[in-house]
Amino acid sequence: MKNQPIIRILLVDDEETLLEYLSKRLLKMGHTVKAAFSGEQAIEVANREHFDVAIVDLKMPGIDGVETQKKLKEIQPFLQCIVLTGHGSTETALKSGQQDAFQYLLKPVNYDDLVAIIKKAYKKKSQTQEVKFKEEVERIYRSGLGAHGIKKAIAELNKIYGID
Amino acid sequence: MESINPLLSELKRVKQKLASYKIELHQARGYLQCILQNSEDMIFATEVSGMLISFSKSGEKVLGYSWEEVIGSQVKDLAKDPAAFEQFLNTSRQDGSSVQLDLAFQHKDGNTAYCNVSLINLTNREGLRIGTVGVCRDITLWKKIQDDLVRIDRLAEMGRIAAGVAHEINNPLAIINEASGWAATVVSDAKGIGSEDRQELEKATKEISAQTKRCRTITHQLLGFVRDSELSKTEFDVHELLNETISFLKPELKHSPIEINTRFMPGPLNMNSDPKLLEQVCVNLITNAIHAVREKHGDKGRIEIRTLKTDSEVEIHFEDNGIGIPQENRQNIFELFYTTKPPGKGTGLGLPICQNIARKVGGKITCQSNVGVGTTFTVHIPT
Repeated sequence: MKNQPIIRILLVDDEETLLEYLSKRLLKMGHTVKAAFSGEQAIEVANREHFDVAIVDLKMPGIDGVETQKKLKEIQPFLQCIVLTGHGSTETALKSGQQDAFQYLLKPVNYDDLVAIIKKAYKKKSQTQEVKFKEEVERIYRSGLGAHGIKKAIAELNKIYGID
Repeated sequence: MESINPLLSELKRVKQKLASYKIELHQARGYLQCILQNSEDMIFATEVSGMLISFSKSGEKVLGYSWEEVIGSQVKDLAKDPAAFEQFLNTSRQDGSSVQLDLAFQHKDGNTAYCNVSLINLTNREGLRIGTVGVCRDITLWKKIQDDLVRIDRLAEMGRIAAGVAHEINNPLAIINEASGWAATVVSDAKGIGSEDRQELEKATKEISAQTKRCRTITHQLLGFVRDSELSKTEFDVHELLNETISFLKPELKHSPIEINTRFMPGPLNMNSDPKLLEQVCVNLITNAIHAVREKHGDKGRIEIRTLKTDSEVEIHFEDNGIGIPQENRQNIFELFYTTKPPGKGTGLGLPICQNIARKVGGKITCQSNVGVGTTFTVHIPT
């Protein structure tokens, strides 16, 4: 996977075996993968680490997929969520659509399709984030802060946007 | 002579009375005959032994037998279960009063006719039982509607259960899918296995993936069948939709000289409906036609798609010259899970899904078929 971006992926599903294999395959492709087995865990992880794409199962005990997605987006506004479900209900799909799901997929998904969608989601994330980041940087430079202040503000910004 | 006069006048009086009785009797008989001949109900009378002595005109309609054909035979022999009818007759004999029961009769044409039967004892002036009268209301149609309702209900329930099962299966299926994908990756990277073993393993993982995909098609179709999605209506050109569908199915026809011809009405055929759903119907019907044609001609054969617009609807005809559908199968083709294809070739979901979609947009699908000649499915969509 040379010249391919390394995508930071958060997997959220209560089916642990599924995550085991899915993360192995994605890791093998060179991506960074974290698995969370519940919505609560996912939120906890997202508070500590930045991700580009989250793959969230819709039906989970505790906080369900729709709610998890909402919370994740609050913590990391640029994160793109792909919603997976074994259910055919479009009603919940619509609900997750309102929470700006990048895409809604019915389980089991074709792996190649999933990878293609993850890449698309990553691209969208990078683009929207970049635009916003540039705006913020310009705002800082215009703010009349001293060199030290600017450096500090940008470091803060890097932290918020998950840029190392 | 004098003593004769009162006798004569008495005789005259009796004669007059007799004449008036005769008229009354005639009227009463006419009245009864009128009822007997015109009643929608089948009315019969038997003597004590159960032998038929009267059989109303409508009996011919209900059971197909004329009066001449049944008179003298045992009434119980008209019933589907003569022993049960005999028992019912006995109850009526003992009870004296009228008794009612729904019973099945054997129609002359072999079908079953259902009647609500009332039996009443026929008595003479001394109150002695001389036979039985039966009034039978034909409830065959009602019974059929009832059965249909039960069947529809059962189908809907089956659909719901199937969708539930499909949903539960999707999760383990997803795991199998990922695990086999991972196994394939490991096999391709593994060192220290012989090329023959590697080939075997690659073949096996590929097979697991292919079969998972097959299951996935079934579960997704099933969920699609039960899913009650909102219609998303928009204006579109039916001809464009059909042409796109045909080119979408072209790969399916690669290397086979099956002809798909179109005979569309001139110009675009615009209508306001749900194009996504209708596309699914067209894909299913054309795929079925391809299979039907292939089964008969190998890879030859002809499919023709025609469009027609009437005052109230748009019709799309899908005609093939394939094997055709035997009469006895035709009534089942829209039933969930009904298939005549060998295992793994058909799911019995395609046509029920099509019919479901057609109904959703307010239309229907009809089918005409001749065995060995071909089949035409017509989609009717209201404009």
